[in-house]
Amino acid sequence: MRVLVIHCHPVADSYSAELRNAVCDGARSGGHEVRVLDLAAQNFAAVMSADELGRYKAVSSEVSDDLVQHIDSVMWAEVLVFVYPTWWSTLPAQLKGWLERVMRPGVAFVFDERNKVRPGLRQIRHIVGVTTYGSKWLYVKLMKDAGRRTLLRALKLNTTWRTKSTWLPFYGIDGASENERTEFLNRVRKKMEQL
Amino acid sequence: MNVLVLFAHPLSDSYGRAIYDEAVRSLNVEGHDLRIHDLWQEGFDPMLSAAEKHAHFADPEVKTSGDSLLASHVADLRWCDAIVFVYPSWWSAPPAVMKGWFDRVLMHGVAWTFPDGATRLHAGLTHVRRLVGITTYGSSRFVNALEGEPGKSTIRRGLRVLCNVRCRTTWIAHYGLDRSEQRDRELFLAALQRRLRRALG
Repeated sequence: MRVLVIHCHPVADSYSAELRNAVCDGARSGGHEVRVLDLAAQNFAAVMSADELGRYKAVSSEVSDDLVQHIDSVMWAEVLVFVYPTWWSTLPAQLKGWLERVMRPGVAFVFDERNKVRPGLRQIRHIVGVTTYGSKWLYVKLMKDAGRRTLLRALKLNTTWRTKSTWLPFYGIDGASENERTEFLNRVRKKMEQL
Repeated sequence: MNVLVLFAHPLSDSYGRAIYDEAVRSLNVEGHDLRIHDLWQEGFDPMLSAAEKHAHFADPEVKTSGDSLLASHVADLRWCDAIVFVYPSWWSAPPAVMKGWFDRVLMHGVAWTFPDGATRLHAGLTHVRRLVGITTYGSSRFVNALEGEPGKSTIRRGLRVLCNVRCRTTWIAHYGLDRSEQRDRELFLAALQRRLRRALG
């Protein structure tokens, strides 16, 4: 399958970057094609301009240059893999901005004649989330795990009913040992091999 | 009350802007002291930089020393008794520019601390007694229930636990904006002052 990895962490040698590598290695050794979008490295602009929002609903309108590569990659992909650290129980601002700007009308969804949103990501067969949480499982659940809901519910509603989803969480990274970190990397690699 | 208003919408002729104008007018009429940040207009940078990430546990004064806008956000957060968020929900959560306010302004030493031996964050915003979210959703209440309202829980849970134990939260939402009638929108605006009075009372 064609796998698009969307990675977001400001520090180049972070654990999140190791996770991104594990995802790519795993997917490649499972025989999948892989493309990576590294938002921090590309300095992806998270904030939509007034002009861009003004033209938002005009599907045919030109998109800004920095989006072309991202939109092409989403159209190309059959699997979306999000790799990021959970901050304040959800996506980092830059990744949230990526959803807002790239997953626009004509890409992720269309408005029908009654101005209702209809799914546009029909080619996506699988959505995967790989994320680290500072807090433990119970606390994450009490906070209602907003990031997971954004990706596996709000975004997934724009795919088809056959689209699968997988959540690979690392809870309590703040207190985790080196061993646990390595173990999780192996688990992620294996899961991606078996996609 | 000392009310911090955080607003995010890029278009000056939008309904989101009209809601914000009405909210500010109402809060002034009710006699609150306001400090306002229009995140789009002031050009707030939502991206936590590598340098900020490395300085995660440094003193707030150190982290804000080169950034007067960030310093003013921290000062206003320390000053307020109530925070009012006004934004359009995109992908059922605040726009990136506002999510960045969480990532960058809710910093160690201001919003939370992590004392030695602690197993979780300790609240740093115990002076905050009211949280209010005013937002619009393009989709219906039903669709948002399916999606689980991630934006709402970030404020009502994630931020709430950093505030005073008796902090009250209020959610004021306009659902189904993509297909709402002019009349619905006017009714929502007309009720805003009363709803804010109850929220902050």
